[in-house]
Amino acid sequence: MGAKIVNFLKQPMVRAVLAIAVLALVGGAAWGAYQTQRLPQQPIEFRHNLHIGLGVQCLYCHPGAWQGQSAGLPTQSKCWGCHQQIDRQTPELDKLAQYVEDGVSIPWVPVALMPDFVYFSHRPHIAAGVNCETCHGDLSKMTVAEPQKGMDMGWCLKCHKELAPEKETKLIDCATCHQ
Amino acid sequence: MTEHQIPEVKADFSPEEVGKWGMVIDQDLCTGCQACVAACAMENNVSFVGEEDAGYGRGMHWVRIERFWEGEYPKISTSFQPVMCQQCGHAPCEPVCPVFATMHSEAEHLNMQVYNRCIGTRYCANNCPYQARTFNWYDYERPDPLNNQLNPEVTVRRRGIMEKCTFCIQRIRRAEDAAAAEGREVMDGEADPACAQACPADAIIFGRLDDPESRVSKQVRSGRGVKLLEELGTLPQVTYLKGGAGYDRNG
Repeated sequence: MGAKIVNFLKQPMVRAVLAIAVLALVGGAAWGAYQTQRLPQQPIEFRHNLHIGLGVQCLYCHPGAWQGQSAGLPTQSKCWGCHQQIDRQTPELDKLAQYVEDGVSIPWVPVALMPDFVYFSHRPHIAAGVNCETCHGDLSKMTVAEPQKGMDMGWCLKCHKELAPEKETKLIDCATCHQ
Repeated sequence: MTEHQIPEVKADFSPEEVGKWGMVIDQDLCTGCQACVAACAMENNVSFVGEEDAGYGRGMHWVRIERFWEGEYPKISTSFQPVMCQQCGHAPCEPVCPVFATMHSEAEHLNMQVYNRCIGTRYCANNCPYQARTFNWYDYERPDPLNNQLNPEVTVRRRGIMEKCTFCIQRIRRAEDAAAAEGREVMDGEADPACAQACPADAIIFGRLDDPESRVSKQVRSGRGVKLLEELGTLPQVTYLKGGAGYDRNG
């Protein structure tokens, strides 16, 4: 029985078919992994590094982080506040001008997403003196925002336990983050 | 002992200890109109199971109205009792969960259900003397446009998950966040759950039990309060009021 199978596998056609099947599986897995790691296509190739280099504060474009739950993504009018006074030096800015002309909000794709069973609010984190880059990475080295790896519950709890030990009962309570 | 110790999540409050959030339901005022039931279902994305499943006893309500007939005909009257999770300080549902999905919030003194931990053994519901827990037997459909009324602040539960009243934890959290932003304590009426907000008779009062001046604390002290199945020692956070002035509706 064993010899029969070995002989069957030694046939050139069978080998070729097996090789193709293995290649297809590995290729498919690699393509799938690439799809999950790839940055989402943003409507405008926004350059965080350039804006931070020019001294624009995070909270200028994402003021919601200061006041509430969501940091917010800027509308076309927010961008246009500065950019109508600046020469359109790149084709990306023509896209912005088009959004302004059409009166359409820029359909930014958020990259830092929380699962629906998690309640997260920016405000207490900013109030506690946590900087944006602690969670979102150093955006002065990114163009479009990149999702950060390892934003999981253990990662949340690590900070919640270390940064304010006197508030631990509240900070590691399930009710604080889960809904 | 290794560094991985099982956390102390099974709360055990002494009867004198006052919980943080409490509710008072005035049965003399309740008309049994079911507004709280509807409001709760809307606020908390509670599924509608349909006629057939309801017939099997799979109806899903986080709050239900119990009706009692009192007196003999023709001097007969009804009294209504909205029953939801009593947020027990010494909860029978907690120690039976094998995966710590139902556990006590030490900070809010609430009994919590962690949906993504729940594996659906239903031990908790079987051990709940108030039958306050409901189970998702199926994924119930919300055909368009009903999906648009889902509350984004509340998880949409899947099949095989146990769920129950949370005292509208999302509203409590919002009120606490707003209070913290302004550097003050949560005020009376700020964190009202959907049932209390919807109640047209103002029979449901919600607030902080750790504040002796809150409306709910005053009502608890009024002397006509009872806890449901008090003899079980579950230390409920919900108090029912009955038998106030002019109570004798048969007379």
